[in-house]
Amino acid sequence: MSPKAAWLRQAVAFIALIGVWEACADAGYLNPLYMPAPSNVAAALFQLFAQGTIWPHLIATFSAALGGLAVGLVIGTALGATAALTPLVGELLAPVMIALNAVPRVVLAPLFVIWFGIGIGSKVALSFILVAVLIFFTVFTGIREVDRRLVERVVTLGGGRGALLREVYGPSVVAWILGNLKVAVGFAFTGAVVGEFVAATKGLGYLLSFAQSSYNAALMLALVLLIMAFVLALFGLTGWLERRLLRWRG
Amino acid sequence: MLRVDSLALAYGATPVLEGASLEVPSGRFVSLVGPSGSGKSSLLRAIIGLQKPLSGAIETDIAAGEIGMLFQDDALLPWRTAEQNVALGLRLKGVATGTAIASARQWITRLGLYGLSERFPRELSGGQRKRVALAQVLAREPQLILMDEPFASLDAIVRARVTQDLVRLVELRGISVLLVTHDLEEALALSDVVYLLSQGPRARISGRYDVPLPRPRDVMKARIHADFAPLLQRLWNDLSREVGERAA
Repeated sequence: MSPKAAWLRQAVAFIALIGVWEACADAGYLNPLYMPAPSNVAAALFQLFAQGTIWPHLIATFSAALGGLAVGLVIGTALGATAALTPLVGELLAPVMIALNAVPRVVLAPLFVIWFGIGIGSKVALSFILVAVLIFFTVFTGIREVDRRLVERVVTLGGGRGALLREVYGPSVVAWILGNLKVAVGFAFTGAVVGEFVAATKGLGYLLSFAQSSYNAALMLALVLLIMAFVLALFGLTGWLERRLLRWRG
Repeated sequence: MLRVDSLALAYGATPVLEGASLEVPSGRFVSLVGPSGSGKSSLLRAIIGLQKPLSGAIETDIAAGEIGMLFQDDALLPWRTAEQNVALGLRLKGVATGTAIASARQWITRLGLYGLSERFPRELSGGQRKRVALAQVLAREPQLILMDEPFASLDAIVRARVTQDLVRLVELRGISVLLVTHDLEEALALSDVVYLLSQGPRARISGRYDVPLPRPRDVMKARIHADFAPLLQRLWNDLSREVGERAA
């Protein structure tokens, strides 16, 4: 089997699955309350865009997810680098981060609603905490496990702390972060949607909650598809960034 | 001139070197041979400042920036191209980026890597990477180069070519070299003086051998010089005796 034609086989299998699903729904084998036909899901999706009702929700979710992602990347990197390069800070921060990593951090969502309200703040905070802990460990490990030979190479060439950060630690950490960026994007959207699910007035999570309370499975599946599509598009973007910036890896 | 006097080194509580003394006169090629674990690499690391000695002295009239080091692994930055790796050595010496890049290109060409400037280390062969590492050190125009078995991983032909290039440049520029190697033949073919380090722990310099081979030197022809075989035999016997005594 040619690996180049893999996408073609996958597409055919996907279309076949949708076809079987549609046929089963038409034949009445599936209860539309639980499993609506693909055509109904597509119609719900079309309506969301045709009526224009989706845009404020999309903007809310994207703003929260990307805001949390950006702040999480910056703060996670800063904390991870400081902890790895300053033993005292590492000693104080590592247990806190390990504790935060040990619990499913989405349990903090109700607390963030109390702290930051039902607006975008609590969603950004949840995305941030999910991303920041991941990036903290990524950077911390990236610096701690940097190839000692490269450090010694730069030191023997006369490089000081600045040169080490610029030439060795920086590029090494960027490689680690880019390797985990897809996971971070997924975490950021998880935080935003779960936050909206808990308490919100708009956003894809809010719409999901609405669809659930009105037993609208078609709308729910349409929203899930929408989230998947946008996250996959962001994965494509991070993949492109990874290929471009990590060209040296081949 | 580099002088190491009664140097003692340890890894934690384990003594490695005890009272090692040697001298690298200006413009001379000196090798240090000895059994595995005798502390050869540790001695180089102490000279370059990567390891703190327990006691003894390291004296030199050469500024720290004028000492280059070639490691066993080429240790090139994987995210930098060959040209950027060579230029890095110059930039860290304070040379402006543009000048450093221009000089790096010249050195890359001089070491037979024409057309490979833009390649990343993973795109180069072992021998090519070694040449880039060599160019990185030579571009800085050091007065002294410390080498920790830099050619050990290369196959025989590539190794012969790279070492010949090295000898030619070192002779041309009057650079002092301290080479650590397991290979007695390589040590004699390249050097003016060879020091023998005894079996560790508590290794010490147990012999010094002047190599009366002419310069400029062809590293292959040196091996068939009349003085080569007797000297190799003597060095081999002393090394065997040293290892045997410790083992007994």
